[in-house]
Amino acid sequence: MATRSPQNQASLYVPENIAHNVKTITFIRSSMSAITGSAAGILGLTGYFGFIFYGITALFTSFLIWALKTQAKPGIYFRGRTDVWTEGVFGGLFSYVLFWTLLYGIVHGVYLSTLAEKRIIALFDNLR
Amino acid sequence: MSHLAESQSLYLDPAIRDWVLIPIMVVMVLVGVLRDQVTVLLGGGASTKKPGLKAIRETRILARGATLRTYGNHIPLSSFTSRKNFLSNAYKKGEYLKNPAAMNQTVNPMTDPAGMEMMMEGMKKNFLMIIPQSVIMGWINFFFSGFVLIKLPFPLTLRFKSMLQRGVETPDMDVTWVSSLSWYFLNLFGLRSIFTLLLGEDNAADGMRDMTAMSQMGANPSGQPQDFYKLHLAEGENLLLTPHDWELGDIEHRLLVQYGKRKPKPVSDIVDAGDSDEKSIGSSSENKGKGRRKGVYPGIVKLYDSCLRFSLGAAAIPPKLTAKLFY
Repeated sequence: MATRSPQNQASLYVPENIAHNVKTITFIRSSMSAITGSAAGILGLTGYFGFIFYGITALFTSFLIWALKTQAKPGIYFRGRTDVWTEGVFGGLFSYVLFWTLLYGIVHGVYLSTLAEKRIIALFDNLR
Repeated sequence: MSHLAESQSLYLDPAIRDWVLIPIMVVMVLVGVLRDQVTVLLGGGASTKKPGLKAIRETRILARGATLRTYGNHIPLSSFTSRKNFLSNAYKKGEYLKNPAAMNQTVNPMTDPAGMEMMMEGMKKNFLMIIPQSVIMGWINFFFSGFVLIKLPFPLTLRFKSMLQRGVETPDMDVTWVSSLSWYFLNLFGLRSIFTLLLGEDNAADGMRDMTAMSQMGANPSGQPQDFYKLHLAEGENLLLTPHDWELGDIEHRLLVQYGKRKPKPVSDIVDAGDSDEKSIGSSSENKGKGRRKGVYPGIVKLYDSCLRFSLGAAAIPPKLTAKLFY
């Protein structure tokens, strides 16, 4: 009984549940990357800072999943212990970039202000 | 007016934002939703036609063989052997084939009506993929080319210039200013996870997934029906090669070790048995991790736990180490 075939180790997991868990992680990551992308755009991050911000928020999200969702025991929910930290991180990057670009463009003066906006801005300037 | 103070010498017409940037995104989202709905209408992502009883038998018997191979160690040797013999014989004789007469000749997909059906499915899917993508791309190229649309917040190398500023052709313009086609591609990739949020995991909304599906299809052109007899033969051979190693072989020894009545064997494979006493199945991962860090066989403690489960009278099911997460 000293050797175990990999099949028998695999048989200890329920594949449906693992698939469901991966789905859940993907769902969390998708929404988080859209939200953090918008945040980066509104904050006006550019260049490497944006990608570093994504790394930090992804790490934070992973930590939240690890702490709240798996109760610090990812081994019960996934085959590998690193799956919680890596799953879907790269896939979320694209929607992060999309929302980052969109909100950066809209908020940070890529477009000339419209007449109404100009009037509002002038009003504020007068108030000051 | 802090945003005007930024070092930036170029501003775009806000009409570009209102009539190009946002509409492209909205249209792409809506087209994705439409694609998903149309796919459902045309009969779901999976096959529409319900397979007959014989066809189900033909595939399920394969699953039975795989199950026996995977979980065989959970039943005694005699049970395992009888199942193995039965299944491998059945595979060899083709007893569970849909059409036992067609054991030796390959099926021509053109004559088989089910094969035709499958080919039509593949064609429909391909059309659904190609048409919306090319229509949107043509629309963007026709109406929105020749001007920059948005500024990317991150720098790119000069190599991207000809790709991202196609139709603008201004030599000195910064690469971060990109045309509408780049915005289209950004949407194409970025909206994928948004579709997951909107339409669920198994949506048919984004085109990129279909492209990967199509490249896979090259191996198996347009869903040609498989030769099930060959599959059955292969499964039978796999089954015959599967060794059996009963999980409960030395269970009484392990049980005594677990309650501290006997010391673990020096050559035993149950390394962590002593200190994993009275822990639930859930904590097995902790031990597993420890074991791995010490350089012990991975999975040993899992094995131990599964034996414990059996010793406590659980049925011959795989131990459920995998719990479910909830939203």
